[in-house]
Amino acid sequence: MSSRRAPRGEYIETETGNKVARKATLLGTQNIMLGGKTVIQPEVLIRGDLIRTIQASTQSGAASNNTAVSIGRYCFLSRGCCLRPPGRLYKGAFTFMPLRMGDHVFVGPGSVVQAASIGSHVHIGTNVVVGEFAIIKDYVRILDGTVVPPNMVIPSFSIVAGQPARLIGEVPEGGHEAFELRGLYKTVGNNPQPAS
Amino acid sequence: MAVLTPYTFIQCPCSDSSTLGRPSDPNSSTITEADEDERTFDPRAPRSNFSLYPLEYLLYCEDCHQIRCPRCVSEEIVTYYCPNCLFEVPSSNLKSEGNRCTRSCFQCPICIGPLAVTSIETRPDPSLLAAPDNTAAPHSGPYALTCSYCNWSSTEIGIQFEKPNSIHAQLAKLRNGGSTRLTAKERKERRKDPAYRRYQATSSGEGESDQTENLDLETQFANLKAFYQNQLADPNSADTGLAALGDLGFSSPTSLSRIMSIYTGGSLQDRKAKSRLGAMREALKPDEGLQFAHLDESAAIETLRGEGHDGTASITQLVDQPPNLGEEHLHGRSRFISELRPIPYLLRTKRSKRCPVCRHIISKPEAKVQTTRFRIRLVAGSYIPSIAIRPLSLSATAGGGGSSASGATLPGALLEPLKPAHFLLTFKNPIFETIKVTLGAPAETPGRFASKVTVLCPVFEVDANTDVWDEALREGGATGGAGSGGGGEKGERRRGRYDEGSQANNGNQLEVGKIWERGRNWVSIVVEVVPASLRLDQGDAPLREDEDVLEIPLFVHVEWEGEAGGDDVLESVAAKDKGGEAREKRELAYWCVLGLGRIRK
Ligand SMILES: [Zn+2]
Ligand SMILES: [Zn+2]
Ligand SMILES: [Zn+2]
Ligand SMILES: [Zn+2]
Repeated sequence: MSSRRAPRGEYIETETGNKVARKATLLGTQNIMLGGKTVIQPEVLIRGDLIRTIQASTQSGAASNNTAVSIGRYCFLSRGCCLRPPGRLYKGAFTFMPLRMGDHVFVGPGSVVQAASIGSHVHIGTNVVVGEFAIIKDYVRILDGTVVPPNMVIPSFSIVAGQPARLIGEVPEGGHEAFELRGLYKTVGNNPQPAS
Repeated sequence: MAVLTPYTFIQCPCSDSSTLGRPSDPNSSTITEADEDERTFDPRAPRSNFSLYPLEYLLYCEDCHQIRCPRCVSEEIVTYYCPNCLFEVPSSNLKSEGNRCTRSCFQCPICIGPLAVTSIETRPDPSLLAAPDNTAAPHSGPYALTCSYCNWSSTEIGIQFEKPNSIHAQLAKLRNGGSTRLTAKERKERRKDPAYRRYQATSSGEGESDQTENLDLETQFANLKAFYQNQLADPNSADTGLAALGDLGFSSPTSLSRIMSIYTGGSLQDRKAKSRLGAMREALKPDEGLQFAHLDESAAIETLRGEGHDGTASITQLVDQPPNLGEEHLHGRSRFISELRPIPYLLRTKRSKRCPVCRHIISKPEAKVQTTRFRIRLVAGSYIPSIAIRPLSLSATAGGGGSSASGATLPGALLEPLKPAHFLLTFKNPIFETIKVTLGAPAETPGRFASKVTVLCPVFEVDANTDVWDEALREGGATGGAGSGGGGEKGERRRGRYDEGSQANNGNQLEVGKIWERGRNWVSIVVEVVPASLRLDQGDAPLREDEDVLEIPLFVHVEWEGEAGGDDVLESVAAKDKGGEAREKRELAYWCVLGLGRIRK
């Protein structure tokens, strides 16, 4: 094919199938967990450097877990989006808490995500802001331009929109498959395949 | 103007009055076609608004072999839960507590964002108490509800709490401004209290002196209900009030029973009621539920002078407010944001769905709140072909724009009036049988502006959705030697087609009766449209909203042979010549609407 290709390939493709754009910024890579087959497009920013500074004292026995951002399989982080662990005061001191993301999560271009947790099969549109410590469950669709306030809980099968986000509909029974991102995964990378 | 992405909406048979409530009839297999041929479905008819759905919204009944939509299925609630704390609410609680969360889950009355409980003493930090380990927080009360989005605080309406938990119960005892009030239970007790009743009776007996008493909604309702029950029980209730209207009065028990007898049949007429003469009177005292309307609005005007327009609540804010049972009926008089209260979250539900005709369950989620699995989920998308629309630019393909025929045509680009445009319709077959698709479209679109429509290939077959394993294997990373046998071969063939795609398409001519492209379980065909000119003559009504959208009605008829389903109604059609396995012919027909784009004005 005659597609113009960057000499080294635009993406770094890892053993587990992650496709990470060379032009993406991943800070604190040792604290970023990728489940595999995840696409990270150019100009994406992941703040793995914002790790928890205070470990929960009760878990002192366990090896200190420094994961700042964990991402499941088949996630798609679009150009210019940002994942940033949420932070808060804990016993009088400020600390960041990890940001966890399930499988098949699409984050649209220019969106900023500071959630505590995002389930699986979640679609976040373009230029969305997900506030700190928001909890987004499975099969949720967040429409373009939505601002999800901090601490908001969005239950499964919700469609939310607006500033601040409000429930505007339910994901219909026949809409579950649309969250699947396997097909989209194939269309990017150094050897993209046409969408089927 | 928003960019229009092409869409396909499907019409559920429930909107068709001729098939309403009638299961598909096997002995008259062509009946739908014959019926439908006579009249073209008009997507712009007002009724169509309520019957067109995207494929994802449709379910399918396997017993009726028919599409079902959100409008015609009957729903049954499986679980009630709070969308904020995700706790399940037993349905028995609903009767006593209402349909809102009674824990500490509230929404902001100003912006609808979630409210968090924060300590007033320390600097408010909304995220603090939302965290699981908030019990370790060193500070203490009083507490307030604060919005993490607009920074509203319940202290603005003078409400603060002693404890950080069970906010709902605490809020029920507080008026805006901070004064306490009786809870529903206490008011109920009070109503039973003889001393209170005596007080009410005496005060109301003195006439005007009582106009100051405000009955809260619940008390007023209880009083009214008790009053009317007494009236109905008392055979000599004809005393004062509207007695003059006699039997003609709407409040007369005889006219009530007459109306009832009309609906229940004359023989059921209550003879006893006939002897009852006179009218029921209306409530005259507060203990009978009479509540004087407050017509004096000078206080509201005064507040408006002070607070201005910014102090008034918007309609959305007022609509979001739950009825405040602990206060008197405001009759829409609540207009200031200082009167708004935190909104307890409305509960949400998980619902199962039944076919309206055969009553079989066609969708049933698992009851647990946190699980997303379904026990039954018969979605139309796994039974009927999906239709994807893509603009086709013939000149662009010649320029070597790759296999994609969409070329230079931007998605959402305006359609030029009177200039032929082409669209690729891709039909994808979800079932494991080959389907035969027959399309029908009117030559001209209905409505004021008739665009010309030509389906270049109205009859074609789409291969079965068989080799899913092939795709799954390639998916798993095994590329080259994957899928041995037919599956792999097909996969290769398909990829080959893509590689040669550009050439193949260059050779592709718009030919009547030829399909444009085919794949494993899909077929693309071309539709040619000549958009109408939207020019209006003098005296014509102006262009209505979305009248510039080119929508074409398309009748889809799908035929296939399926395994005979035992006592199935379609058995009579089963083809006998297929040795061994009993096969039967199945078909499905429906209208859909293709939204192609906007025509340039
Ligand atoms: Zn229907
Ligand atoms: Zn709740
Ligand atoms: Zn707010
Ligand atoms: Zn049925």
